[in-house]
Amino acid sequence: MIGLLGSYLRRPYKELKGEVLVLPSRTIVVVFCLALLLLPLLTSDSYTLRIFILAGIFAILAASWDLLSGYTGQMNLGHALFFGVAGYTSALLNTNAGLHPGLSIPIGSIAAVVAGLIVGIPCLRLRGPYLALATLAFPLILTGVIFAVPGITGGELGISGLSVLTGSRVGDYYLIMVLALVLGFVMWKICNSKTGLIFHALREDEVAVRASGINTTRYKLLAFCLSGLFAGVAGGLYVHFMRIASPSSLELMLSFQVIIWAVFGGIATIYGPMAGAFVLVPLTEYLRNMPPPVDEMRMLIIAAIILLVLLFMPEGLVSRLRDRMEKVCPRCKIRNIASRHECRICHTALD
Amino acid sequence: MDLIKRAITCLLVVCLLATPVLACGGETQSETKEIRIGVIGPTFYVQGQHHRYGAEMAAEEINKAGGISIGEDTYRIKLFFANSNELLSVTDAANAMERLISVNRVSFVMGGIRTEAVQAMQDIAMDNKVIFLGSGAAAVELCTRVTENYDRYKYWFRVAPVNSDHLGHVSFQMLGMVAAAVAQKTGNTPRVAIFAEQAVWTDPIVAAAQANIPLMDMEVAGTWRVSATATDVTSELTAIRNAGANVIFTALSGPVGRHYVQKWGELEIPAASVGINVEAQDAGLKALPTKGNYETTLNMYARVNLTEKTIPFYDTFVDRFGEPPTYNAGTYEAMYVLKEAIERAGTLDPDSVVEEIEKTDRISPAGRITFDDSHDIVWSPGYVTTVGIQWLDGEMHCVWPPADGSWEDVSYEGVVPYKLPPWM
Repeated sequence: MIGLLGSYLRRPYKELKGEVLVLPSRTIVVVFCLALLLLPLLTSDSYTLRIFILAGIFAILAASWDLLSGYTGQMNLGHALFFGVAGYTSALLNTNAGLHPGLSIPIGSIAAVVAGLIVGIPCLRLRGPYLALATLAFPLILTGVIFAVPGITGGELGISGLSVLTGSRVGDYYLIMVLALVLGFVMWKICNSKTGLIFHALREDEVAVRASGINTTRYKLLAFCLSGLFAGVAGGLYVHFMRIASPSSLELMLSFQVIIWAVFGGIATIYGPMAGAFVLVPLTEYLRNMPPPVDEMRMLIIAAIILLVLLFMPEGLVSRLRDRMEKVCPRCKIRNIASRHECRICHTALD
Repeated sequence: MDLIKRAITCLLVVCLLATPVLACGGETQSETKEIRIGVIGPTFYVQGQHHRYGAEMAAEEINKAGGISIGEDTYRIKLFFANSNELLSVTDAANAMERLISVNRVSFVMGGIRTEAVQAMQDIAMDNKVIFLGSGAAAVELCTRVTENYDRYKYWFRVAPVNSDHLGHVSFQMLGMVAAAVAQKTGNTPRVAIFAEQAVWTDPIVAAAQANIPLMDMEVAGTWRVSATATDVTSELTAIRNAGANVIFTALSGPVGRHYVQKWGELEIPAASVGINVEAQDAGLKALPTKGNYETTLNMYARVNLTEKTIPFYDTFVDRFGEPPTYNAGTYEAMYVLKEAIERAGTLDPDSVVEEIEKTDRISPAGRITFDDSHDIVWSPGYVTTVGIQWLDGEMHCVWPPADGSWEDVSYEGVVPYKLPPWM
């Protein structure tokens, strides 16, 4: 029995030792995930858990923006659209049809996918600042629609009285953290797959991709839909956690914040924007609760930090830290810890 | 060695002698306990500042007078201020409420201004059975929640302002007064431009204005809706002038109100301005080049004898903070409502305190305060009526209810006649 158990555990242990612990970045990710999952055991303070829950939701949102804009280069300045569409759809289904959040959130996410198509199709021919401006317009249009039909959307008041996610703060925390980590992993896998490679290539040279016989239209729409899907999950979780879907979920400020989190952490990485959200959301909240004049200057402080990161680490905080801790083998492209002098796989000299 | 022994002996004697004194002191301290009350609002804006000013003033008065008595114990009020940032972020507002309750461990909260954010804050307070005394958001829907689900939302009360329906009613009364002055001067039927911010509380007012203005022997020149945070309304005011309006009926609560008054005075738009403009309730208006002159708005307070407490409250507030109170200073009244309810209940148990707040009937600086079944402050002649104020020579003057008692026989000493702008 013990021998059987040992044989089952031996392989994961080997994988952990050989694939994870050999690289500082992977070790940090594992430690970070464990810390997140263990946090409720260290504190039961509902305020602290609330801040991390929101950070988790915004991490999914930031990563979904990265999937679209970071990888494919389709600059989206109105990412709150997907968040808001899914939020309102979940809220309407929950309050009017009595659907459980377990159903209303996935359906809301599908609505966000449709929103992704609606935005993606007319934007196919647009590039650069024209695409950015077009995407910026969509949440504004939806906000107008919300105010135009207050009988359905609740107008400025929004839709309140939504069902809670699990009924306990710790339950909400685990649900959202597990979803954030799993969805983050799924997005990372997508971006590291063949599809992700094409997304990346689209950003670098769309003409070359088309010349290679790849249907760029299909991949661009796929990026919009996937991004909408994940942002939609974040939107659904947010409205059920806050128990209100309101026009503020479509505000431009939210769209800009998503970009700030992503740029801060490092775009085209998935984990960078997630880390950005997990650093900046609690930091902003922490500064807000500091005594004057720090609380009054919190946006200035955040802006200064972001400017410094952009100035000295244009690739983003996480990407820079990773590059400082690790080296890529020039021959086999495998990452190694920076202190190594030769590649751990092909033994090529790294210095 | 002897010296050391003597010193120790002296020390022991002093300690023995001091023990009863310290014990008494300790007992006195244990009798003076704390009641933790949270004040939540956008602290970098005038609304949040007045939340703070009103609560601070009341808490200091109550503590100075001996605090809150529960049985034989005396409790001092300890205030915790939270910046809700609600004008910019609903998420921040909800976080601030959660922090007040779970970190600062407050038993009661007061404040709030933006309906959308107050709803989110309301839910958190209700989850924790923390009594939340609203003093800023006017939307009827906040109190409708109490009637729809009493057991959950009974911990919510609105102390200020009166709800948007009543605000609309008073502003129509003021509109009638101004329109009469316009008709008398011009000899024409008043043409009214409706100028409201895009917000839920203004929707019923705009709808009522469009429906009722023709019934009041006036014409509607048009409706203009602007963002609450717009910084320039020149185009709207030009359109209003071109539409031939001679009265502008306002419904503004955001910073746009200040820019509106500035442009209206600078451009000398030939239309009398009347209605609701929260920015015009603030003393900052006199810093404008036009000193805000002739702007007329509804207000909760004026330096007239709404009750015998109004002028002393008003003067103390102005002396201390250098500006007159806005409706957000309703936290002052909220604090006294809470104090009296706690003392009557003889406990801090929220359910018992709710029962006592429901029985509130007190004379406050804004009028006589009672609550209806939806936990909304009662608006009526003889209760809280609100007032109309006009800026004249950089000072606020009460112009409504008229001094002649033509509105429901209500008249307050110190009311002055309404004046039309000289450029009309």
